[in-house]
Amino acid sequence: MATLRGLLETPRHLLVCEKSNFGHGKSRHRQLVETHYHNYKVSFLIPECGLLSKELKNLVMEMGPYYFVKNLPLHELITPEFINTFVKKGSCYALTYNTNIDEDNAVALLPNGKLILSLDKDTYEETGLQGRPSQYSGRRIMKFIISIDLMDLSFNLDSKKYERICWCLKEKKPLKFDFLLAWHQTGAEESTMMEYFSKYQIQERQPKVAMSTLRSLQCPVLQSSTLRGEPEASCGGPELFDWLGAVFCDVDLNNEPNSFISTYCCPQPSTVVAKAFLCTVTGFILPEKIHVLLEQLCHYFDEPKLAPWVTLSVQGFADSPVSWRENEHGFWKGGEHLYNFVIFNNLDYWLQMAVGANDDCPP
Amino acid sequence: MAAFADLDLRASSDLKALRGMVETAAHLGYSVVAINHVVDFKEKKQEIEKPVVVSELFTTLPIVQGKSRPIKILTRLTIIVTDPSHCNVLRATSSRVRLYDIIAVFPKTEKLFHEHNQYFIILMERNTTNHPWIPGMLLVASFIKCKMIAVLKDFVSIKEVACTHLDVDLVCVTVTEKLPFYFKRPPVNVAIDRGLGFELVYSPAIKDSTIRRYTISNALNLMQICKGKNIIISSAAERPLEIRGPYDVANLGLLFGLSESDAKAAVSINCRAALLHGETRRTAFGIISTVKKPRPSEGDDDSLPACKKAKCEG
Repeated sequence: MATLRGLLETPRHLLVCEKSNFGHGKSRHRQLVETHYHNYKVSFLIPECGLLSKELKNLVMEMGPYYFVKNLPLHELITPEFINTFVKKGSCYALTYNTNIDEDNAVALLPNGKLILSLDKDTYEETGLQGRPSQYSGRRIMKFIISIDLMDLSFNLDSKKYERICWCLKEKKPLKFDFLLAWHQTGAEESTMMEYFSKYQIQERQPKVAMSTLRSLQCPVLQSSTLRGEPEASCGGPELFDWLGAVFCDVDLNNEPNSFISTYCCPQPSTVVAKAFLCTVTGFILPEKIHVLLEQLCHYFDEPKLAPWVTLSVQGFADSPVSWRENEHGFWKGGEHLYNFVIFNNLDYWLQMAVGANDDCPP
Repeated sequence: MAAFADLDLRASSDLKALRGMVETAAHLGYSVVAINHVVDFKEKKQEIEKPVVVSELFTTLPIVQGKSRPIKILTRLTIIVTDPSHCNVLRATSSRVRLYDIIAVFPKTEKLFHEHNQYFIILMERNTTNHPWIPGMLLVASFIKCKMIAVLKDFVSIKEVACTHLDVDLVCVTVTEKLPFYFKRPPVNVAIDRGLGFELVYSPAIKDSTIRRYTISNALNLMQICKGKNIIISSAAERPLEIRGPYDVANLGLLFGLSESDAKAAVSINCRAALLHGETRRTAFGIISTVKKPRPSEGDDDSLPACKKAKCEG
């Protein structure tokens, strides 16, 4: 019987919904966008819109290049030249590519200068650096997190700590990974990543953009003041979240009896919208660019428009060691950590943050 | 966490089919697979064959999906035992057995399942008189928790007990038929302490619905006794279509009565433990290992025999 009861449960997941206004002084939207470091996919949906405006289109096309380096040794990221050239002058982001966080080692560099290594037991013991066991270990601890503060290290390069870290990563256990790199520079451009890593096979990549116009889409009716929704008057936050997922997966929302794939139907009350514009950008996208996109979407309502609201969804990398700030992220049966803004025409917004099983509650 | 592993891909003489299976496993996300050679001693005169050489199978190993590393292929031997004399092959340090990375045993009777899990000691031969060191021997035996098979009252004719402990890494649990015996907790606990893993296979369940029932009921029986520790779930796949992805197998573990974390461990951490157990089996207490040094070519040698040469150098 315990087995049957266990089978009825789904893995733990959390959805945090909050509402506020962009003009409000204490609105947290900027902070939350900028502390979600590793973003894989950005999508926005604009109902009642057939063509994208020029500003939005330019923004989407210039979501910035990101770089892919193969077999980069880890000690290259702790050299003083790297720290002075990239980490201190702007925000540098790095994430290992083609590593599964629940199976192998993963490394991430955060813009505040912290290098997070998420290592399995054997590698941790061989490397010899100080770390702590992962929060989601269970009875047997198989995963360890090491956090190296590069800003702190760069002030005293002669310290024993820095020497030990260098020795561990260069000689004791040299680790090499494929990295995705991105850099948002502040100040004059002095050098680029392509030049710095020219010894390794570095490639510059542009994010992929996919645009489509959806016809006759059923949209739920939302009222910005009622986050929970009122029966017969408007839909709530969780219902909108499910509906948005169905739209992104291109699922029919009709609950047709002969449909094998889905029996989902649009939450009521709903209206039918003649056309809606859906744009998806995929790549290693900088939070700063997402913030600019968010502001531009707010400006969408500067002129009166038919659309009652627009949505902006951002998904993080499933294999990133951190979700928001330095909250640890793990992969249980699915490694989602994403957030979604619903922007209303009076600049109210709903913010929904969702995480999976091995994650802390979003901030 | 450890990488996902499937420790049972049935070896066949058809190399092409084997290649297809390994490629499917790499595509599904397994980082380690073990090619299983099954030996059944019930038939007359079965010889343990040499394991498949990996370099013959693939010139370049297929890359695991989602990673940049190639898949790791190991070899495994499963011995089906129905009679205690079949276990002798494990005791003899035959070179064939040592070629395999993992050794598993498939006991068919209750006696073999429970008793091989424990230590036996070789007691005295028959027709011995009262030896003074018999009580000492008993004391040592109780220390290392051994099971004495038969100690007769007059110490004169003590039965000779066969075998040493069985030196294996995995114990297979039958799934194709109703369990002929019930599991007993003490021997199973001793096995878990020794680091043995219990293996359940799922590909017979894919093929037939009656076997599905037996698989689940046998698995639930096992879980009640061992509480989900040291369980490995693997496919006994003979064709590529019978392999399932690692997360699906972890979900299947939920049906077998494992908790969520135990089910995921059954495909990853416990497999890693079995591999390490196999490696340490070939070493002395897991600390010292021996490697055969390649012999120098004949031309370099002087005509002096080796022992005399050592004296000259020393």
